[in-house]
Amino acid sequence: MAKAEYTVLGTSPARMGGVERVIGKGIYGIDLALKDELHGGILRSQYAHAKIVSIDTSEARKLPGVHAVVTAVDAPDVRYGRTYIDRYMLAKNKVRYMGDPVAAVAADSPAIVKQALKKIKVVYEPLPVVIDQEEAMKPEAPTLHDDMPLPKNLPEGVKVKNVCSYTVVHVGDPDKAMAEADVVVDEVYETKMIHPQYLEPRIAAAQVEPDGRITVWANAQAPFGVRTDVARLLGVPLNRVRVLSTELGGGFGGKASGITSGAAIEPICALLAVKATRPVMIVLDKAEETISTTIRSGAKMYIKTGVKKDGTIVARTGKVVYDAGAYSGFGAMAGARCTNMLGGWYLMPNCHIDGYVVYTNKQVCGPVRGPGGPQAAFAVESHMDSLAAKLGMDPVEFRLKNTPKAGDKIVGVPKLRDVSLDETITTAAEKIGFKQVGAQFIAPALGKNQGIGIATGSWIESAGPGGGAVVKVNEDGSVTVHIGKIDMGTAPRFGIPLIAAEELGVPVSDVTVVNVDTDASPWDAGTVGSRAIIVSGTATKLAAIDARNQLFKMAASQLEASPDDLEIKDKQIRVKGTPSKSVALATIATNAHNVIGEVIGRGYCDNLAMMAEEKAHGNSPPFTTHACIVEVSPDTGNVKILKYVAVHDVGFPIHPVAVEGQIEGATAMSIGQALCEQVVFDNNGRTMNPSFVDYLMPTINMMPRIETTLVHGYPGAGPYGAKGAGEIACVPPMAAIANAIYNATGVRIHKLPLSPENVLRGLKAAGKA
Amino acid sequence: MSLTINTTINGTPVSASAEPSTSLLEFLRDTLEYKGTKLCCNTGECGACTIIFNGKPINSCVTMAADAIGAQITTIEGLADGDTLHPVQQAFIDTGAVQCGYCTPGYIISVKVLLDRTTKPTAEDIEEAVSGNICRCTGYTKIVDAIQLAADRMAGRS
Amino acid sequence: MDYFEPKTVSEALALLAQHGAEAKVIAGGTDVMVDIKYKEEPGCLVNIKKLPGLGAIQANGGSLRIGPLVTIHDIETNALAREKLPVLWEACHQFASLQIRNTATIGGNICRASPSGETLAPLLVLEAKAKMAFPDGEKTEPFTSFFQGPGKSSVGAKGLLTGIDVPYPAPGSHGVYLKHAVRGAMDIAMVGVAVMVTTNAAKNSLQDARIGLGAVAPTPIRATKTEALLRGKPLTAALVKEAAAMAAAESSPISDQRSSAEYRRWIVEALTRRGLEQTWKAATGKEVV
Repeated sequence: MAKAEYTVLGTSPARMGGVERVIGKGIYGIDLALKDELHGGILRSQYAHAKIVSIDTSEARKLPGVHAVVTAVDAPDVRYGRTYIDRYMLAKNKVRYMGDPVAAVAADSPAIVKQALKKIKVVYEPLPVVIDQEEAMKPEAPTLHDDMPLPKNLPEGVKVKNVCSYTVVHVGDPDKAMAEADVVVDEVYETKMIHPQYLEPRIAAAQVEPDGRITVWANAQAPFGVRTDVARLLGVPLNRVRVLSTELGGGFGGKASGITSGAAIEPICALLAVKATRPVMIVLDKAEETISTTIRSGAKMYIKTGVKKDGTIVARTGKVVYDAGAYSGFGAMAGARCTNMLGGWYLMPNCHIDGYVVYTNKQVCGPVRGPGGPQAAFAVESHMDSLAAKLGMDPVEFRLKNTPKAGDKIVGVPKLRDVSLDETITTAAEKIGFKQVGAQFIAPALGKNQGIGIATGSWIESAGPGGGAVVKVNEDGSVTVHIGKIDMGTAPRFGIPLIAAEELGVPVSDVTVVNVDTDASPWDAGTVGSRAIIVSGTATKLAAIDARNQLFKMAASQLEASPDDLEIKDKQIRVKGTPSKSVALATIATNAHNVIGEVIGRGYCDNLAMMAEEKAHGNSPPFTTHACIVEVSPDTGNVKILKYVAVHDVGFPIHPVAVEGQIEGATAMSIGQALCEQVVFDNNGRTMNPSFVDYLMPTINMMPRIETTLVHGYPGAGPYGAKGAGEIACVPPMAAIANAIYNATGVRIHKLPLSPENVLRGLKAAGKA
Repeated sequence: MSLTINTTINGTPVSASAEPSTSLLEFLRDTLEYKGTKLCCNTGECGACTIIFNGKPINSCVTMAADAIGAQITTIEGLADGDTLHPVQQAFIDTGAVQCGYCTPGYIISVKVLLDRTTKPTAEDIEEAVSGNICRCTGYTKIVDAIQLAADRMAGRS
Repeated sequence: MDYFEPKTVSEALALLAQHGAEAKVIAGGTDVMVDIKYKEEPGCLVNIKKLPGLGAIQANGGSLRIGPLVTIHDIETNALAREKLPVLWEACHQFASLQIRNTATIGGNICRASPSGETLAPLLVLEAKAKMAFPDGEKTEPFTSFFQGPGKSSVGAKGLLTGIDVPYPAPGSHGVYLKHAVRGAMDIAMVGVAVMVTTNAAKNSLQDARIGLGAVAPTPIRATKTEALLRGKPLTAALVKEAAAMAAAESSPISDQRSSAEYRRWIVEALTRRGLEQTWKAATGKEVV
């Protein structure tokens, strides 16, 4: 049901692009086939850390059917990266993890590519390998990047190695406050590396056009980032590279080339196409993806909190050691986010957290769905239950005692405009079965080996990279929307069409949102960071209004009215209150040819204005609380989730079903991280479970029904008060489940995953099994 | 060595060559250009490549193209009736069970086989039918809704 | 890669003799196709699905004769298999996904000889026999000696599995197959335990007890010491505990990317205990005390 003031906003029409997906049209990157294309493949390092002594490609080049073989010498001597420019697209001098690309081949068939890769002779001089980020920080650790400086802001006297960035959070006087606390809890939590494991493999395709420009097809989340990387790494101007986006079969931040120095398969593919003088397509194998593309990092988190007897938190100190992987990638940003969030989203008058992001010989950190947040929340929200237990308070009451209110500040947010956290907590508690009695929340009676747990979450939403939109009203009144974000089941084809339809008074089915072509689409940072509805939504709204204003200006004289008195309804531009005075939208749009050429509305999301607004009036973050009931098998450690509720504040949900879908999907992803997912390494840095046989993703039989509830009344920074919904549901699930396991067994598991083995170990160590 | 594969896809006889090592998935996608069946794990672990083979759902990525000789194969492209979507296809759209859509063809095939067998699937029936289909986007909740909605519509209950 | 579709068993055997180590047999293909793509493409592929007479399930007096080409789903949907051989049926029911079960054959699962093969511990516990064909004739061997190591079985490079003979358990027998996994059927079994007990006429003691363990040794094994401990005794809680611990001690699991050896031993203990409790209750109607 649409809110009364809107025609289509708040409804959930069928997803644009649904039909072609259910009938199996070949719309994804992997379905591409270029005329005369060659197949490309990448040779990856056999060592997690080694010097490259020599590479001999002569045998590979001789193989019939091979059209190009490239290594670092075939490309300009240029590096790329995010926080630091620390990476070559094809390794030069050194390899730093086993997925590091060393060479690439273009050949007539995948079989010849495979043979040719085998014939490339690389001589390595192995170096000591470091897998654990705390080990990598030690002064005696092997150095991964000889020419990368330590961060300038490291505290005095700290002797470390391989630190890529350092963040510190400091509020008040935490040491003093901690000393004065009545109760102190000091814990360590650890999460492991997981891979986003989108189902559609990454591809890249490239061809050199007759005029020498390079066209690249990518199933990447940030096509403009791809353009930047390709242009930079091949040493050509931006307007000589065109990136065309295909549809994506999932991404989750793992297909965000250009945002991170993730996999660079697009520049490698473009280089092959240039050298081979024929189109080239690379398709990664899923097992190859696990070892080489960007991941969600593991984090080690030390967290110590002091509270008063009455449950008021007075101080927190802590340390985050965040794994960057072999290159800086998104590690610094994710690690900073994790460090900030370790300060929590409760009132925190005194706080000091040190955050180190550390290079290791493993896959590189990418902006994977809520980077840094789920890790921090696993620590913070598990720790909250430990505090509550020591205080003898129930976990709901304890949290409510410390929630911020409007006007308060929390770590990372200097001023809150409104706060939905309380409502999400009480709603989730009620839906999972707690009964409120005074200030206390009494858990429901549960069966043997069953437990109940809650966890809250936040996602520090602040102004991020902006983006634009162009809205064209065609001669027949249909609408074409250009944004810089791609569609992978998110806002671009769910909510964005509704915004254009709402502002232009046309049916949703008359709106097309086209895919990204960097020649024509407005710049955008990419479909990441829960910002599609905020950035592209704002831009689309403004662009649609701009287009509408142009239409009204042209129609005004014909209708003998002021433009301010006009509206569009059912494809008619008419005078408000006098519907008989109208002209068809198509008529005005066609007539634009004679007046302004064409109706093109332009809008952009103004980053600075958003920041100013937040500074003046405060932020309204998208808070959430999840809760679950689990059953633990005390003899095997298996955990079954019996009931799961997710309560979210997403501001105004423009397309409620899409929002629920994001919440349910993100929750499931973190349930996977909680129960069964991790990338496992041996001491040499080899990934031991690259394929789906042993990289276990949750299947339907282990997933509870995820019951989503939205709370309302807390408008956000997005259009019509929307808030981003793509990531935040990833934040609470691991802690919610860990807390439920604790409630069931009395055993606190500090390390993910909460696999049967880790749970049984915990039970046995506590003498409970 | 080249084999001649004579088979029937969505009711249409086809004949094309394949190597002995060619999988049925590669044959469908690369030789016959049926792009609807998807390549994902390529090891029989995810169900994205599910097709109906002589009435049964199988993973085409771990089946030889050679085994398709003489078989009746249904792919996602064969479900709609002209412009009219199959009830399972329509239900997936209507419940929001299609996000990125990459798992969708494999799911629809598995669900169609289930609902042809029974329009009153129990939770166990559903689990059996689609435990081999992984979805990374939806968390499965709306997929279960879609299966229920399709069942109700196919049984005339809705 | 050469490719053959032999029409008779002798033709198949001749091909294997001719091509030796270069030849690989393929039935359903759910394992071999992955090998071809990700390990080595063999010199020649021998597709045995056209061999006649190997795809049937036949009642044979006091046993069920299962052809090697019978798919896992065929067993799952066979009423006789479900009624008479519930231990084997349960393993088939927990075998990967429906898609895989429709293609994978019991012969393939057996000849793959993976220690974690789902059907293997049940076949050991049912004291089924393998019928094999070799160039120099046929041979029958109990599965209890059929498996020699990971990937190694009596079939070897030159033979063919032509039949699986599964005697019906004695009256008064009850069996369960318990698979330990993180997710469920989709996983490769981290541990598989098949337990079958036969009570005496008075239903107060164990006439026979058979315990098959999968994924915890280089081959599927019978926990023979544990069985000896149990035979002839009434099943008490104390005996269950002792037997479960003994079964764990009889296993020799490895640590790998799926789990540690220590954890696998804990699970052998847990599932042996559960298996004994469940089968005792099914046989006697009473809980173990």
